[in-house]
Amino acid sequence: MTTVNLQLQQIKERAAETMEEMWVNMGPQHPSTHGVLRLLIKLDGEVVRECIPYMGYMHRCHEKIGENRSYVQIIPYTDRLDYLASMYNNWAYCLGCERLMEIQIPERAEYLRIIIGELQRIASHLIWLGTFGLDLGNFTIFMWCFREREMVLDLFEAVSGQRINYSFMRIGGLALDVPEGWLADVKAFLAWLKPRFAEYDRLSTDNVIWQKRIQGVGILKPEDAISYAASGPMLRGSGIQWDLRRDDPYGIYDRFDFDIPIGTSGDVWDRFWVRRREMEESVKIVEQGLRDIPPGPVLAPVAKKLRAPVGDIYSRVESPRGELGHYLIADGSEKPYRYKVRAPTFVNLSALPVMLPGCLVADAVAVLGSIDIVLCEVDR
Amino acid sequence: MTAEEILQQIQSRFSEEIRTAEVRRGEACLTIKGDRHFEICRFVKEELGYDYLNCLSGVDWPADEEMEVVYAVSSLKRPGKILLRVRVPRKEPFLLSVVPLWRTADWHEREAFDLFGIRFENHPDLRRILLPEDWIGYPLRKDYQDERFIAYPWDDRKPGGVPRPTSA
Repeated sequence: MTTVNLQLQQIKERAAETMEEMWVNMGPQHPSTHGVLRLLIKLDGEVVRECIPYMGYMHRCHEKIGENRSYVQIIPYTDRLDYLASMYNNWAYCLGCERLMEIQIPERAEYLRIIIGELQRIASHLIWLGTFGLDLGNFTIFMWCFREREMVLDLFEAVSGQRINYSFMRIGGLALDVPEGWLADVKAFLAWLKPRFAEYDRLSTDNVIWQKRIQGVGILKPEDAISYAASGPMLRGSGIQWDLRRDDPYGIYDRFDFDIPIGTSGDVWDRFWVRRREMEESVKIVEQGLRDIPPGPVLAPVAKKLRAPVGDIYSRVESPRGELGHYLIADGSEKPYRYKVRAPTFVNLSALPVMLPGCLVADAVAVLGSIDIVLCEVDR
Repeated sequence: MTAEEILQQIQSRFSEEIRTAEVRRGEACLTIKGDRHFEICRFVKEELGYDYLNCLSGVDWPADEEMEVVYAVSSLKRPGKILLRVRVPRKEPFLLSVVPLWRTADWHEREAFDLFGIRFENHPDLRRILLPEDWIGYPLRKDYQDERFIAYPWDDRKPGGVPRPTSA
Protein backbone atom coordinates (compact mmCIF):
# COMPACT_ATOMS: atom_id res chain seq x y z
CA MET A 1 0.00 0.00 0.00
CA THR A 2 1.41 3.41 -0.85
CA THR A 3 2.12 5.98 1.78
CA VAL A 4 -0.68 8.25 0.65
CA ASN A 5 -3.26 5.47 0.76
CA LEU A 6 -2.02 4.32 4.12
CA GLN A 7 -2.35 7.77 5.56
CA LEU A 8 -5.75 8.27 3.97
CA GLN A 9 -6.86 5.06 5.58
CA GLN A 10 -5.59 6.28 8.94
CA ILE A 11 -7.49 9.53 8.52
CA LYS A 12 -10.67 7.64 7.65
CA GLU A 13 -10.31 5.30 10.59
CA ARG A 14 -9.75 8.18 12.90
CA ALA A 15 -12.69 10.14 11.47
CA ALA A 16 -14.93 7.16 12.07
CA GLU A 17 -14.20 7.24 15.78
CA THR A 18 -16.52 10.13 16.45
CA MET A 19 -19.14 12.24 14.78
CA GLU A 20 -18.23 15.66 16.10
CA GLU A 21 -14.46 15.68 15.88
CA MET A 22 -12.62 15.58 12.62
CA TRP A 23 -9.07 15.30 11.41
CA VAL A 24 -7.85 18.13 9.22
CA ASN A 25 -4.58 18.50 7.38
CA MET A 26 -2.73 21.75 7.85
CA GLY A 27 0.00 21.78 5.27
CA PRO A 28 2.29 20.59 3.74
CA GLN A 29 1.54 23.60 1.58
CA HIS A 30 0.45 26.23 4.03
CA PRO A 31 1.95 29.71 4.27
CA SER A 32 2.29 29.65 8.03
CA THR A 33 4.29 26.42 8.18
CA HIS A 34 7.36 28.31 6.90
CA GLY A 35 8.37 25.41 4.73
CA VAL A 36 6.80 22.04 4.18
CA LEU A 37 5.40 20.72 7.40
CA ARG A 38 2.19 18.79 7.68
CA LEU A 39 0.13 18.94 10.84
CA LEU A 40 -2.67 16.48 11.23
CA ILE A 41 -5.03 18.28 13.56
CA LYS A 42 -8.06 16.88 15.34
CA LEU A 43 -10.69 19.55 15.50
CA ASP A 44 -13.70 19.79 17.74
CA GLY A 45 -15.53 22.64 16.09
CA GLU A 46 -12.85 25.27 16.00
CA VAL A 47 -10.83 23.94 18.92
CA VAL A 48 -7.73 21.85 18.41
CA ARG A 49 -7.85 18.64 20.41
CA GLU A 50 -4.79 16.81 19.15
CA CYS A 51 -1.95 17.38 16.76
CA ILE A 52 0.38 15.00 14.95
CA PRO A 53 3.24 16.60 13.00
CA TYR A 54 4.61 14.87 9.91
CA MET A 55 7.91 16.05 8.55
CA GLY A 56 10.68 14.82 6.32
CA TYR A 57 9.59 16.42 3.06
CA MET A 58 13.01 18.01 2.72
CA HIS A 59 15.00 15.15 4.16
CA ARG A 60 18.31 14.68 2.37
CA CYS A 61 20.17 12.63 4.98
CA HIS A 62 22.56 15.42 5.78
CA GLU A 63 24.33 13.12 8.23
CA LYS A 64 25.08 10.48 5.59
CA ILE A 65 26.40 13.18 3.27
CA GLY A 66 28.61 14.37 6.11
CA GLU A 67 30.01 10.91 6.71
CA ASN A 68 31.14 10.79 3.09
CA ARG A 69 32.84 14.19 3.08
CA SER A 70 36.00 15.44 4.72
CA TYR A 71 35.75 17.71 7.75
CA VAL A 72 36.25 20.87 5.69
CA GLN A 73 33.87 19.82 2.93
CA ILE A 74 30.98 19.62 5.39
CA ILE A 75 31.06 23.37 6.12
CA PRO A 76 29.00 24.44 3.06
CA TYR A 77 26.40 21.79 3.88
CA THR A 78 25.89 23.24 7.34
CA ASP A 79 24.72 26.49 5.71
CA ARG A 80 21.75 24.62 4.31
CA LEU A 81 20.52 23.43 7.69
CA ASP A 82 19.22 26.61 9.21
CA TYR A 83 19.42 28.94 6.26
CA LEU A 84 18.29 31.93 8.35
CA ALA A 85 21.32 31.61 10.63
CA SER A 86 23.98 30.11 8.38
CA MET A 87 26.83 31.87 10.10
CA TYR A 88 25.84 30.33 13.37
CA ASN A 89 25.67 26.86 11.85
CA ASN A 90 29.16 27.32 10.41
CA TRP A 91 30.35 28.39 13.80
CA ALA A 92 28.71 25.52 15.65
CA TYR A 93 30.19 22.93 13.33
CA CYS A 94 33.66 24.49 13.23
CA LEU A 95 33.66 24.82 17.00
CA GLY A 96 32.82 21.13 17.36
CA CYS A 97 35.71 20.20 15.08
CA GLU A 98 38.07 22.57 16.86
CA ARG A 99 37.20 21.05 20.21
CA LEU A 100 37.70 17.59 18.77
CA MET A 101 41.05 18.46 17.19
CA GLU A 102 42.04 20.80 20.04
CA ILE A 103 42.74 23.78 17.81
CA GLN A 104 43.13 27.19 19.39
CA ILE A 105 41.84 29.99 17.19
CA PRO A 106 43.29 33.53 17.05
CA GLU A 107 41.91 36.25 19.26
CA ARG A 108 40.67 38.42 16.39
CA ALA A 109 38.79 35.49 14.93
CA GLU A 110 37.07 34.91 18.27
CA TYR A 111 35.89 38.51 18.36
CA LEU A 112 34.81 38.52 14.72
CA ARG A 113 32.90 35.29 15.27
CA ILE A 114 31.00 36.85 18.14
CA ILE A 115 30.26 40.05 16.21
CA ILE A 116 29.13 38.10 13.16
CA GLY A 117 27.23 35.55 15.24
CA GLU A 118 25.30 38.20 17.13
CA LEU A 119 24.53 40.12 13.93
CA GLN A 120 23.21 36.82 12.62
CA ARG A 121 21.07 36.44 15.71
CA ILE A 122 19.63 39.91 15.14
CA ALA A 123 18.92 39.08 11.48
CA SER A 124 17.34 35.76 12.41
CA HIS A 125 15.14 37.28 15.12
CA LEU A 126 14.17 40.10 12.75
CA ILE A 127 13.01 37.67 10.11
CA TRP A 128 11.18 35.75 12.81
CA LEU A 129 9.45 38.89 14.08
CA GLY A 130 8.51 39.86 10.54
CA THR A 131 7.09 36.51 9.48
CA PHE A 132 5.40 36.06 12.84
CA GLY A 133 3.72 39.41 12.25
CA LEU A 134 2.69 38.12 8.85
CA ASP A 135 1.15 35.04 10.49
CA LEU A 136 -0.88 37.33 12.70
CA GLY A 137 -1.90 39.57 9.82
CA ASN A 138 0.44 42.44 10.57
CA PHE A 139 2.03 43.11 7.23
CA THR A 140 3.76 46.37 8.07
CA ILE A 141 6.12 44.89 10.62
CA PHE A 142 7.11 42.29 8.06
CA MET A 143 8.30 45.01 5.69
CA TRP A 144 10.04 46.96 8.43
CA CYS A 145 11.92 43.98 9.82
CA PHE A 146 13.03 42.93 6.38
CA ARG A 147 14.41 46.41 5.79
CA GLU A 148 16.86 46.02 8.69
CA ARG A 149 17.60 42.39 7.95
CA GLU A 150 18.60 43.44 4.47
CA MET A 151 21.26 45.68 6.00
CA VAL A 152 22.71 42.74 7.93
CA LEU A 153 22.75 40.73 4.72
CA ASP A 154 24.62 43.56 3.02
CA LEU A 155 27.20 43.49 5.80
CA PHE A 156 27.58 39.73 5.40
CA GLU A 157 27.81 40.08 1.65
CA ALA A 158 30.69 42.48 2.16
CA VAL A 159 32.64 39.93 4.20
CA SER A 160 31.78 36.68 2.45
CA GLY A 161 30.37 37.54 -0.98
CA GLN A 162 27.18 35.61 -0.19
CA ARG A 163 23.83 36.71 1.11
CA ILE A 164 22.39 33.54 2.63
CA ASN A 165 24.79 30.58 2.48
CA TYR A 166 28.00 32.15 3.66
CA SER A 167 30.38 29.23 4.38
CA PHE A 168 32.51 31.90 5.95
CA MET A 169 33.87 30.15 9.02
CA ARG A 170 36.72 27.70 8.81
CA ILE A 171 38.05 25.11 11.19
CA GLY A 172 40.63 27.25 12.93
CA GLY A 173 39.08 30.67 12.42
CA LEU A 174 37.57 32.56 9.52
CA ALA A 175 38.09 32.36 5.78
CA LEU A 176 39.07 36.02 5.47
CA ASP A 177 39.53 39.10 7.55
CA VAL A 178 36.75 41.65 7.23
CA PRO A 179 37.27 44.38 4.62
CA GLU A 180 38.53 47.80 5.61
CA GLY A 181 35.86 49.99 7.11
CA TRP A 182 33.52 47.09 7.78
CA LEU A 183 33.59 47.51 11.55
CA ALA A 184 32.61 51.17 11.11
CA ASP A 185 29.73 50.01 8.91
CA VAL A 186 28.59 47.68 11.69
CA LYS A 187 28.69 50.57 14.12
CA ALA A 188 26.61 52.70 11.76
CA PHE A 189 24.13 49.87 11.37
CA LEU A 190 23.74 49.52 15.14
CA ALA A 191 23.17 53.27 15.41
CA TRP A 192 20.42 52.90 12.83
CA LEU A 193 18.94 49.78 14.40
CA LYS A 194 18.64 50.91 18.01
CA PRO A 195 15.84 53.47 17.52
CA ARG A 196 13.99 50.96 15.32
CA PHE A 197 13.08 48.75 18.29
CA ALA A 198 10.72 51.45 19.52
CA GLU A 199 9.13 51.46 16.07
CA TYR A 200 8.63 47.70 16.18
CA ASP A 201 7.13 48.08 19.63
CA ARG A 202 4.59 50.53 18.33
CA LEU A 203 3.48 47.93 15.82
CA SER A 204 3.70 44.87 18.06
CA THR A 205 4.22 45.22 21.79
CA ASP A 206 1.94 48.23 22.26
CA ASN A 207 -0.60 46.98 19.77
CA VAL A 208 -3.73 45.76 21.57
CA ILE A 209 -4.68 43.38 18.77
CA TRP A 210 -1.21 41.85 18.92
CA GLN A 211 -1.43 41.50 22.70
CA LYS A 212 -4.87 39.90 22.67
CA ARG A 213 -3.85 37.55 19.90
CA ILE A 214 -0.89 35.97 21.67
CA GLN A 215 -1.25 36.39 25.41
CA GLY A 216 -2.19 33.19 27.22
CA VAL A 217 -2.00 31.09 24.05
CA GLY A 218 0.12 27.98 23.55
CA ILE A 219 1.41 27.65 27.08
CA LEU A 220 4.46 25.46 27.62
CA LYS A 221 4.94 24.72 31.29
CA PRO A 222 8.52 24.78 32.62
CA GLU A 223 8.48 21.08 33.52
CA ASP A 224 7.27 20.22 30.01
CA ALA A 225 9.93 22.48 28.53
CA ILE A 226 12.63 20.54 30.37
CA SER A 227 11.12 17.15 29.64
CA TYR A 228 10.85 17.97 25.95
CA ALA A 229 14.35 19.50 26.08
CA ALA A 230 13.12 22.74 24.57
CA SER A 231 15.92 25.24 24.19
CA GLY A 232 16.60 28.82 23.27
CA PRO A 233 13.74 31.32 23.46
CA MET A 234 11.27 28.43 23.93
CA LEU A 235 12.93 27.43 27.19
CA ARG A 236 13.53 30.98 28.36
CA GLY A 237 9.96 31.95 27.51
CA SER A 238 8.88 29.32 30.02
CA GLY A 239 10.79 31.15 32.72
CA ILE A 240 13.98 29.10 32.88
CA GLN A 241 17.07 31.22 32.75
CA TRP A 242 19.39 29.03 30.73
CA ASP A 243 21.58 30.31 27.98
CA LEU A 244 24.61 28.39 26.82
CA ARG A 245 26.41 31.63 26.10
CA ARG A 246 26.48 32.25 29.84
CA ASP A 247 25.99 28.82 31.40
CA ASP A 248 28.34 26.72 29.27
CA PRO A 249 30.37 29.43 27.55
CA TYR A 250 32.06 28.78 24.25
CA GLY A 251 34.30 31.10 22.27
CA ILE A 252 34.95 34.13 24.45
CA TYR A 253 31.38 34.81 25.57
CA ASP A 254 32.50 34.78 29.19
CA ARG A 255 34.17 38.18 28.62
CA PHE A 256 30.94 39.85 27.58
CA ASP A 257 28.32 41.42 29.73
CA PHE A 258 24.71 40.86 28.74
CA ASP A 259 21.37 39.98 30.25
CA ILE A 260 19.28 36.91 29.59
CA PRO A 261 15.65 37.88 29.21
CA ILE A 262 13.11 35.34 30.41
CA GLY A 263 9.35 35.06 30.29
CA THR A 264 6.96 34.28 33.09
CA SER A 265 4.08 32.15 31.87
CA GLY A 266 5.49 30.34 28.84
CA ASP A 267 2.89 31.54 26.36
CA VAL A 268 3.42 32.83 22.84
CA TRP A 269 3.73 36.37 24.16
CA ASP A 270 6.68 35.40 26.36
CA ARG A 271 8.50 33.77 23.50
CA PHE A 272 7.90 36.88 21.39
CA TRP A 273 9.08 39.16 24.14
CA VAL A 274 12.19 37.09 24.87
CA ARG A 275 13.24 37.28 21.23
CA ARG A 276 12.44 40.94 20.96
CA ARG A 277 14.63 41.74 23.97
CA GLU A 278 17.38 39.35 22.92
CA MET A 279 17.93 41.55 19.90
CA GLU A 280 18.80 44.43 22.20
CA GLU A 281 21.16 42.20 24.17
CA SER A 282 22.84 41.18 20.93
CA VAL A 283 23.34 44.84 20.08
CA LYS A 284 25.07 45.24 23.44
CA ILE A 285 27.35 42.26 22.74
CA VAL A 286 28.28 43.53 19.27
CA GLU A 287 29.10 46.95 20.68
CA GLN A 288 31.41 45.43 23.29
CA GLY A 289 33.03 43.33 20.58
CA LEU A 290 33.61 46.37 18.39
CA ARG A 291 35.15 48.17 21.33
CA ASP A 292 37.64 45.42 22.25
CA ILE A 293 38.54 43.77 18.97
CA PRO A 294 42.32 43.41 18.54
CA PRO A 295 44.23 43.29 15.24
CA GLY A 296 45.94 40.11 14.14
CA PRO A 297 45.46 36.99 12.05
CA VAL A 298 42.02 35.38 11.67
CA LEU A 299 43.00 31.81 10.83
CA ALA A 300 45.09 29.50 12.96
CA PRO A 301 47.80 27.55 11.14
CA VAL A 302 45.98 24.30 10.42
CA ALA A 303 46.83 21.45 8.10
CA LYS A 304 45.24 21.33 4.64
CA LYS A 305 44.07 17.78 5.24
CA LEU A 306 42.52 17.78 8.66
CA ARG A 307 42.43 14.57 10.64
CA ALA A 308 40.84 14.32 14.04
CA PRO A 309 42.25 12.04 16.74
CA VAL A 310 40.13 9.01 17.62
CA GLY A 311 37.36 10.02 19.97
CA ASP A 312 33.94 11.59 20.15
CA ILE A 313 32.46 14.85 21.28
CA TYR A 314 29.07 16.41 21.82
CA SER A 315 29.54 20.12 21.27
CA ARG A 316 26.72 22.60 21.69
CA VAL A 317 26.16 26.29 21.08
CA GLU A 318 23.27 28.68 21.58
CA SER A 319 22.03 29.31 18.06
CA PRO A 320 19.19 31.84 17.52
CA ARG A 321 16.75 28.93 17.72
CA GLY A 322 18.21 27.13 20.69
CA GLU A 323 20.77 24.51 21.44
CA LEU A 324 22.51 23.49 18.25
CA GLY A 325 24.57 20.42 19.00
CA HIS A 326 26.99 18.39 16.94
CA TYR A 327 27.89 14.88 17.92
CA LEU A 328 31.05 13.85 16.10
CA ILE A 329 32.88 10.55 16.22
CA ALA A 330 36.36 10.53 14.70
CA ASP A 331 38.16 7.38 13.69
CA GLY A 332 41.44 9.06 12.79
CA SER A 333 40.64 9.48 9.10
CA GLU A 334 39.80 12.61 7.11
CA LYS A 335 36.08 12.01 7.41
CA PRO A 336 33.96 11.85 10.54
CA TYR A 337 32.83 8.32 11.36
CA ARG A 338 29.54 9.66 12.64
CA TYR A 339 28.20 13.16 12.26
CA LYS A 340 24.97 13.94 14.03
CA VAL A 341 23.23 17.29 14.19
CA ARG A 342 21.00 18.01 17.15
CA ALA A 343 18.77 20.53 15.45
CA PRO A 344 17.11 22.92 17.93
CA THR A 345 13.89 23.30 15.96
CA PHE A 346 13.49 19.54 15.53
CA VAL A 347 13.44 19.18 19.30
CA ASN A 348 11.39 22.34 19.90
CA LEU A 349 8.80 21.21 17.38
CA SER A 350 8.33 17.95 19.30
CA ALA A 351 6.74 20.02 22.08
CA LEU A 352 4.01 21.27 19.72
CA PRO A 353 1.57 18.43 20.52
CA VAL A 354 1.47 19.57 24.17
CA MET A 355 1.07 23.24 23.35
CA LEU A 356 -1.69 23.04 20.78
CA PRO A 357 -4.58 21.19 22.49
CA GLY A 358 -7.20 23.70 23.58
CA CYS A 359 -6.17 26.38 21.09
CA LEU A 360 -8.34 27.71 18.30
CA VAL A 361 -7.28 26.92 14.76
CA ALA A 362 -6.32 30.54 14.19
CA ASP A 363 -4.13 30.41 17.28
CA ALA A 364 -2.44 27.25 16.05
CA VAL A 365 -0.77 29.45 13.46
CA ALA A 366 0.52 31.76 16.19
CA VAL A 367 1.76 28.87 18.33
CA LEU A 368 3.53 27.25 15.41
CA GLY A 369 5.06 30.58 14.45
CA SER A 370 6.33 31.14 17.97
CA ILE A 371 8.52 28.02 17.78
CA ASP A 372 10.48 29.67 14.97
CA ILE A 373 10.83 26.53 12.91
CA VAL A 374 13.09 26.16 9.92
CA LEU A 375 12.05 23.01 8.14
CA CYS A 376 15.40 22.50 6.41
CA GLU A 377 16.86 22.01 9.83
CA VAL A 378 14.03 19.82 11.11
CA ASP A 379 14.26 17.48 8.14
CA ARG A 380 18.01 17.60 7.65
CA MET B 1 29.69 17.51 41.80
CA THR B 2 32.65 16.91 39.54
CA ALA B 3 32.76 14.47 36.65
CA GLU B 4 34.95 12.11 38.69
CA GLU B 5 32.42 11.99 41.51
CA ILE B 6 29.62 11.32 39.05
CA LEU B 7 31.59 8.45 37.54
CA GLN B 8 32.29 7.08 40.99
CA GLN B 9 28.64 7.18 41.99
CA ILE B 10 27.52 5.36 38.86
CA GLN B 11 30.37 2.87 39.12
CA SER B 12 29.69 2.03 42.75
CA ARG B 13 26.03 1.43 41.99
CA PHE B 14 26.29 -0.42 38.67
CA SER B 15 29.84 -1.74 38.62
CA GLU B 16 28.98 -4.85 36.60
CA GLU B 17 27.16 -2.99 33.85
CA ILE B 18 29.97 -0.66 32.93
CA ARG B 19 32.40 -1.53 30.17
CA THR B 20 34.50 1.63 30.07
CA ALA B 21 34.46 4.83 32.08
CA GLU B 22 36.62 7.89 31.66
CA VAL B 23 36.64 11.63 32.16
CA ARG B 24 37.36 13.61 28.99
CA ARG B 25 37.35 17.40 28.70
CA GLY B 26 35.82 17.52 32.16
CA GLU B 27 32.91 15.30 31.17
CA ALA B 28 31.99 11.82 32.29
CA CYS B 29 31.87 9.30 29.42
CA LEU B 30 30.59 5.79 30.00
CA THR B 31 30.01 2.73 27.89
CA ILE B 32 27.43 0.42 29.40
CA LYS B 33 25.75 -2.86 28.56
CA GLY B 34 22.26 -2.91 27.17
CA ASP B 35 20.34 -4.97 29.73
CA ARG B 36 20.07 -2.51 32.61
CA HIS B 37 20.61 0.73 30.78
CA PHE B 38 17.14 2.01 31.65
CA GLU B 39 17.93 1.75 35.36
CA ILE B 40 21.19 3.60 34.86
CA CYS B 41 19.38 6.31 32.92
CA ARG B 42 16.82 6.60 35.70
CA PHE B 43 19.59 6.82 38.26
CA VAL B 44 21.29 9.56 36.24
CA LYS B 45 18.05 11.47 35.90
CA GLU B 46 16.44 11.08 39.29
CA GLU B 47 19.37 10.77 41.67
CA LEU B 48 22.10 12.73 39.94
CA GLY B 49 19.64 15.36 38.70
CA TYR B 50 20.50 15.22 35.01
CA ASP B 51 16.99 15.97 33.81
CA TYR B 52 17.74 17.34 30.35
CA LEU B 53 18.37 14.93 27.47
CA ASN B 54 20.30 16.94 24.91
CA CYS B 55 20.79 14.43 22.21
CA LEU B 56 20.27 10.78 21.42
CA SER B 57 22.08 9.37 18.46
CA GLY B 58 22.57 5.97 16.99
CA VAL B 59 25.94 4.73 15.77
CA ASP B 60 26.65 1.69 13.67
CA TRP B 61 29.75 -0.39 14.39
CA PRO B 62 29.69 -3.21 11.84
CA ALA B 63 33.28 -4.22 12.71
CA ASP B 64 32.17 -5.08 16.26
CA GLU B 65 28.80 -6.47 15.11
CA GLU B 66 27.19 -3.90 17.39
CA MET B 67 24.98 -0.85 17.33
CA GLU B 68 25.37 1.96 19.77
CA VAL B 69 23.01 4.53 21.20
CA VAL B 70 24.63 7.61 22.70
CA TYR B 71 22.75 9.69 25.25
CA ALA B 72 24.10 13.16 25.95
CA VAL B 73 22.45 14.28 29.16
CA SER B 74 22.92 17.46 31.12
CA SER B 75 21.35 19.48 33.85
CA LEU B 76 19.96 22.98 33.70
CA LYS B 77 21.50 23.76 37.06
CA ARG B 78 25.18 23.36 36.24
CA PRO B 79 27.41 23.12 33.19
CA GLY B 80 28.80 19.78 32.10
CA LYS B 81 27.31 16.74 30.47
CA ILE B 82 27.39 12.98 30.69
CA LEU B 83 27.86 10.86 27.59
CA LEU B 84 26.25 7.45 28.04
CA ARG B 85 26.95 4.95 25.30
CA VAL B 86 24.94 1.76 25.18
CA ARG B 87 25.94 -1.15 22.99
CA VAL B 88 23.45 -3.65 21.59
CA PRO B 89 24.05 -6.55 19.20
CA ARG B 90 23.68 -5.53 15.58
CA LYS B 91 21.54 -8.53 14.67
CA GLU B 92 19.00 -7.81 17.40
CA PRO B 93 19.13 -4.08 18.06
CA PHE B 94 16.54 -3.95 20.82
CA LEU B 95 16.70 -1.43 23.62
CA LEU B 96 14.26 -0.12 26.21
CA SER B 97 12.88 3.30 25.37
CA VAL B 98 13.71 6.18 27.68
CA VAL B 99 10.57 8.16 26.78
CA PRO B 100 9.16 7.64 30.32
CA LEU B 101 12.17 9.55 31.65
CA TRP B 102 12.63 12.24 29.02
CA ARG B 103 9.74 12.98 26.67
CA THR B 104 12.12 14.48 24.14
CA ALA B 105 13.47 10.99 23.50
CA ASP B 106 10.26 10.27 21.56
CA TRP B 107 11.36 11.88 18.30
CA HIS B 108 15.04 11.13 18.79
CA GLU B 109 14.26 7.44 19.14
CA ARG B 110 11.97 7.52 16.14
CA GLU B 111 14.83 9.05 14.19
CA ALA B 112 17.28 6.39 15.38
CA PHE B 113 14.73 3.75 14.39
CA ASP B 114 14.21 5.42 11.04
CA LEU B 115 17.85 5.78 10.07
CA PHE B 116 19.49 2.90 11.97
CA GLY B 117 16.72 0.39 12.55
CA ILE B 118 17.20 0.28 16.31
CA ARG B 119 14.01 -0.95 17.98
CA PHE B 120 13.02 0.86 21.13
CA GLU B 121 10.72 -1.27 23.23
CA ASN B 122 7.88 0.46 25.11
CA HIS B 123 8.10 3.43 22.77
CA PRO B 124 4.61 4.96 22.45
CA ASP B 125 4.64 5.39 18.68
CA LEU B 126 7.66 3.88 16.96
CA ARG B 127 7.44 4.61 13.25
CA ARG B 128 9.54 6.34 10.63
CA ILE B 129 9.83 10.08 11.10
CA LEU B 130 12.00 11.56 8.36
CA LEU B 131 11.74 8.97 5.61
CA PRO B 132 8.52 7.84 3.92
CA GLU B 133 6.77 4.94 5.60
CA ASP B 134 7.46 2.59 2.70
CA TRP B 135 11.20 3.21 2.60
CA ILE B 136 13.32 0.06 2.54
CA GLY B 137 16.48 -0.10 4.61
CA TYR B 138 18.16 2.09 7.18
CA PRO B 139 20.35 4.71 5.47
CA LEU B 140 22.78 5.54 8.24
CA ARG B 141 23.93 1.96 8.63
CA LYS B 142 27.40 1.65 7.22
CA ASP B 143 26.45 -1.17 4.84
CA TYR B 144 23.44 0.63 3.37
CA GLN B 145 23.60 0.57 -0.39
CA ASP B 146 22.03 2.96 -2.80
CA GLU B 147 22.73 3.30 -6.50
CA ARG B 148 23.46 6.98 -5.95
CA PHE B 149 26.45 6.14 -3.73
CA ILE B 150 28.24 4.16 -6.46
CA ALA B 151 30.85 6.17 -8.30
CA TYR B 152 30.54 6.42 -12.06
CA PRO B 153 32.80 3.88 -13.77
CA TRP B 154 34.03 6.30 -16.40
CA ASP B 155 36.98 8.56 -15.96
CA ASP B 156 38.56 9.73 -19.20
CA ARG B 157 41.17 11.80 -17.41
CA LYS B 158 43.08 8.74 -16.31
CA PRO B 159 44.92 6.39 -18.68
CA GLY B 160 42.87 3.26 -19.14
CA GLY B 161 39.74 4.91 -17.78
CA VAL B 162 36.38 4.32 -19.38
CA PRO B 163 35.50 7.35 -21.55
CA ARG B 164 32.43 9.32 -20.56
CA PRO B 165 29.53 8.61 -22.93
CA THR B 166 28.62 11.60 -25.09
CA SER B 167 25.01 12.50 -25.59
CA ALA B 168 23.79 11.97 -29.12
